[in-house]
Amino acid sequence: MSAPPLLSARGLTKRFGGLVAVDGVDFDVFAGEILGLIGPNGAGKTTTFNLIAGAFAPTSGTLDFEGKPIHGLGPHEVAGRGIMRTFQHNMPFAGMSLIDNVLVGCHRRMQSGLAALVMGSRRAAAEEEKARRRAAELIGFVGLGDVADTPVVNLSFGQGRLLEVARGLAGEPRLMLFDEPAAGLTPAEAERLSDIIRGIAKRGIAVLLIEHDMRFLLPLAERVIVLNFGRKIADGTPDAIRRDPAVVEAYLGEASTIGAGEEAARA
Amino acid sequence: MTRAAPWLAAAAAMIAVAFLLKDFGYYSDQYRKLMLWVALALGFNFLFGIAGQVAFSHFAFYGIGAYAVVILTFKAGLPLGVAVVLGLALCAVLAIAVGIAATRLEGFYLALATMAFAQLFLVVLTEGGAVTGGAGGIANYRLPALELGGRRFTLTGPYYTSLIALVLLATFFVFWRLDRSYFGRACRAIRDNPEAAAAMGVDVARTKIVVFTVTSVLAGAAGMAYAFVDNIVNPPVFGLENVFLLLFMVIIGGSGRHAGAVVGAILLYMLPYVLTPLIGHHQALVFGIVMVAAMLFRPDGLVGVYDRLRARYGRGAA
Repeated sequence: MSAPPLLSARGLTKRFGGLVAVDGVDFDVFAGEILGLIGPNGAGKTTTFNLIAGAFAPTSGTLDFEGKPIHGLGPHEVAGRGIMRTFQHNMPFAGMSLIDNVLVGCHRRMQSGLAALVMGSRRAAAEEEKARRRAAELIGFVGLGDVADTPVVNLSFGQGRLLEVARGLAGEPRLMLFDEPAAGLTPAEAERLSDIIRGIAKRGIAVLLIEHDMRFLLPLAERVIVLNFGRKIADGTPDAIRRDPAVVEAYLGEASTIGAGEEAARA
Repeated sequence: MTRAAPWLAAAAAMIAVAFLLKDFGYYSDQYRKLMLWVALALGFNFLFGIAGQVAFSHFAFYGIGAYAVVILTFKAGLPLGVAVVLGLALCAVLAIAVGIAATRLEGFYLALATMAFAQLFLVVLTEGGAVTGGAGGIANYRLPALELGGRRFTLTGPYYTSLIALVLLATFFVFWRLDRSYFGRACRAIRDNPEAAAAMGVDVARTKIVVFTVTSVLAGAAGMAYAFVDNIVNPPVFGLENVFLLLFMVIIGGSGRHAGAVVGAILLYMLPYVLTPLIGHHQALVFGIVMVAAMLFRPDGLVGVYDRLRARYGRGAA
């Protein structure tokens, strides 16, 4: 990968009181790749995710996105730069229609001022029209076209997850963050989500996944970063990760990752 | 032009009513006040029902607008146009100041802080000495004559009623357009889930302040129109109970829906006039029972009931 990284973390550190949740982590994310971030419970995955998403600022270290620092920015500013996310526990806007939910994702592309909105300027109308087309297209892309008119509270959990994906994509992200996207999905739903994530990467969007479920992640990710006790212990292809002795040791006996653990132990 | 047609028709109808009522002083007066309540309910619906801010300062800004235009015109001697612009600017500055402080708060605490502001406004009115006229307020003024193209004329009777109709329609138009834009969606998103809204790029704090300011300034504009309805402004008119009536109007009609605010405002404004001749003071009891029943059984309000009926019986297969 000779192109400059889209996102690069250097010495990323987050302390909570005496606990060092993320400890001097370096990594890069490249455009169009599917990168997995794994590790046993308490390894610092979610903290790393939250540092990127702007939920909190790092204690030290840097995060550069497209060459510009983003550490210390708030969530809406990070989103404004083109990093969108999904939530592990679906967070729909419950009082809004499905299309309006997805349209909120378009927010960062909307430029019209309040006066233009009230007066109904040509530019504001064109912007709205473009956003609506994009939202409708994305609802089709994730396969929610059949339920486009259903109140979002009546969607199944799996459909709610797809809504999160469409909503994030609406912001035309350069980097899409997935927080345990397979959690709570049926195997069939997880399979469909894998296909959708591959489709996202094909559009040139970088995908960063935090995932517990190795059966979901390993066939999907092109590269995997392993964290343990806040430190990066491995960074490579899924095959290399499976054979890495440090990873095997970190995962041995981890109930939630039996599949990967056993496989890694055998290797 | 088809998009403008409903608005023009509404304006024509409302102005026609103003002229129909011109010889019936009492009804004309009630019509003016009803329209102002509808304008206030539309703003409160945007603030509370759409943006989810439980802010009880809405009626205080109505009062600030009314007092500001009267004080600036008749105590400071400014031309009416200047007084209106300065009064709206005052509402905006106060709203931004209160908004910056209050939008750090949520739910119960926002309610308390904005209620304290509304109470403070009443104290300032009562203790304001010669400027506010104290407990007696300011009276004995009249809408000054306007000069347009060298001719002086005064808006009276049905003409002033028509002006109020236009204020109401302009208010409705602003909220209608904002609600159907990305801005309205951002407001609803913040109401439903501020964390997810921020993750989608919505600047939650800024949006809250903008909503608070826009709704407060338009409440102030309605207040300015009110100042020349009774030609008296005094503290009791702007008492705290009014904002709760606004809250009930929005909830009864259907929170978050423009039609709900209109229906709720008309219904609750007229209810005492219908009930009092029948059951006298017991009307307050009926009012209370209706409110509790509405919140228990129909939290989506009358507009929600209408939607259900239409879904069941109306318009064939939709």
